[in-house]
Amino acid sequence: MQEAMPHRTFFPATVGGRRLSSIGREAETAEEVVRGGDGGSVRSMVSENAVIVFGKRGCCMCHVVKRLLLGLGVNPAVFEINDEDEAEVIAELFAIVGGGDDGGLQLPAVFVGGKLFGGLDRVMSTHITGELVPILKQAGALWL
Amino acid sequence: MWGLLGFVHSRGVFNCILLQNLFDYVEELALVTYVVSDLSFVSSRIFTLHLFRTAFYKCNPNHSDNDLSDYLTISPESMNTSSTQYVTTRTMGMYEPIHHIGMWGENFKTNGCLTTSPSTILEDDTKLDNQSEDTSHGTPESKPVDKIQRRLVQNREAARKSRLRKKAYIQQLETSRLKLIQIESELERARQQGVYVGGGLDGSSLGFPGAVNSGIATFEMEYGHWVDEQNRQVCELRTALHAHITDVDLRILVDNGMTHYFDLFRMKASAAKADVFYLMSGMWRTSAERFFLWIGGFRPSELLKVLVTQLDPLTDQQLLDVCNLKQSCQQAEDALSQGMDRLQQILTETIAGGQLGEGSYISQMSNAIEKLDALVSFVNQADHLRQETLQQMSRILTIRQAARGLLALGEYFQRLRALSSLWATRPCKPA
Repeated sequence: MQEAMPHRTFFPATVGGRRLSSIGREAETAEEVVRGGDGGSVRSMVSENAVIVFGKRGCCMCHVVKRLLLGLGVNPAVFEINDEDEAEVIAELFAIVGGGDDGGLQLPAVFVGGKLFGGLDRVMSTHITGELVPILKQAGALWL
Repeated sequence: MWGLLGFVHSRGVFNCILLQNLFDYVEELALVTYVVSDLSFVSSRIFTLHLFRTAFYKCNPNHSDNDLSDYLTISPESMNTSSTQYVTTRTMGMYEPIHHIGMWGENFKTNGCLTTSPSTILEDDTKLDNQSEDTSHGTPESKPVDKIQRRLVQNREAARKSRLRKKAYIQQLETSRLKLIQIESELERARQQGVYVGGGLDGSSLGFPGAVNSGIATFEMEYGHWVDEQNRQVCELRTALHAHITDVDLRILVDNGMTHYFDLFRMKASAAKADVFYLMSGMWRTSAERFFLWIGGFRPSELLKVLVTQLDPLTDQQLLDVCNLKQSCQQAEDALSQGMDRLQQILTETIAGGQLGEGSYISQMSNAIEKLDALVSFVNQADHLRQETLQQMSRILTIRQAARGLLALGEYFQRLRALSSLWATRPCKPA
């Protein structure tokens, strides 16, 4: 079920399906990068997006996560955190997570289905074991 | 200088007494001349140290030997010049047989001693006369005796001082020699442990292989042990599989093998903190292995390709699982590679920031250093991927298959290392 979307750049056809748009708009670019350190919108974005990656601006690990998810056919929302907003955003995320967890939210952080999934480590391990794709499907990030 | 003196001695052209006689004929002589006895030396480097020394002491009876060594610095250029320079003395006319060859050097000219006026020289001369054993001055009859006595004393003194200096020099040579032997043995030891000294040329900004990074030195040593243990385990697996031991015992071997690999990843993690560039360069591995290097180690998907053919027969489910694993591995590797490309891009932009060519780039350097931390993360992630892949394989395979897999993997690396040594010892074709 590949939709012909001429204005989009190519996606690898490993898993066919519709690309999920974020925040209810059709994105013109292949990646939807959300900028800004607005605290209030953090929570809303986590809940609205099936998959969202929080990372520091210019972080290469964030890029790796993004690439991996894109390779699977997922179109993750990416929240690039500015240096000055970092503490604020992390505090917000902590609150979403439920606080007092590990005592240290590692960036990049991936939220799947509104819940904290983990960092690059977890993404990699679950990907290798084959658990990642079902989880993504369950969250509605991947359609078969 | 002693080498030269030794040279002079060995040539047999130097005769203390003879020159002392000559010297006596020229009492106000306050210069150093080069006496050539062996005329085969056109650009002669022969000089009379003794002659100069006595001249020196005539002029500067209060000076110490240190000053003398100042005067005695020889530069090859000065020795080769054929221009002659000497202080005139009114008794030069008497001095036919002496040929003046060579220049003593800049030190000579600039030193006050040898350009002093004859009056000063005369003064010093009388002082020296006063110091001699024979206290009678002026009487013509005792003068020859005086002279002989004085000559003998001076000779003895000179010889003694010369012996002392020779001794000191030899002592210096001995200690230097010992130090050299020590350094050479250290180098040998370091080489055997894996050649970080050679690869560490970029470790010191001063351009010489400076202090070896202790974290890396430790890693090199541990890696050497790791390889030895790996070879031993491979042998053990080989015999075990041929001997058809029980699955329980085989599981122990498999677990050991897996843990061994995980140990390597742990070692690499600490080495990455010590020097990530070193780890990424693969200098700690053999040359053939380096050819296949991907983010500081082996590429998991390549290994899977090697293993799959060795593990027949696989069940259909297993085949499917291995296929999926291969694909996941490939995807993860691609993501990491793309991340590395991004890092390179960022680093290039950081380093080339501002205007290239201004000559000052401190801010760019400090920014770049911060970015380099990401490299450590990449090495860690790559090793994490390798570890996960190995673990997933061990889940898919049966114990016996896992043992065969580890054996195959071990021997694959052994073959790579063997290829490297063959390559290193290949006969060099003549140009």
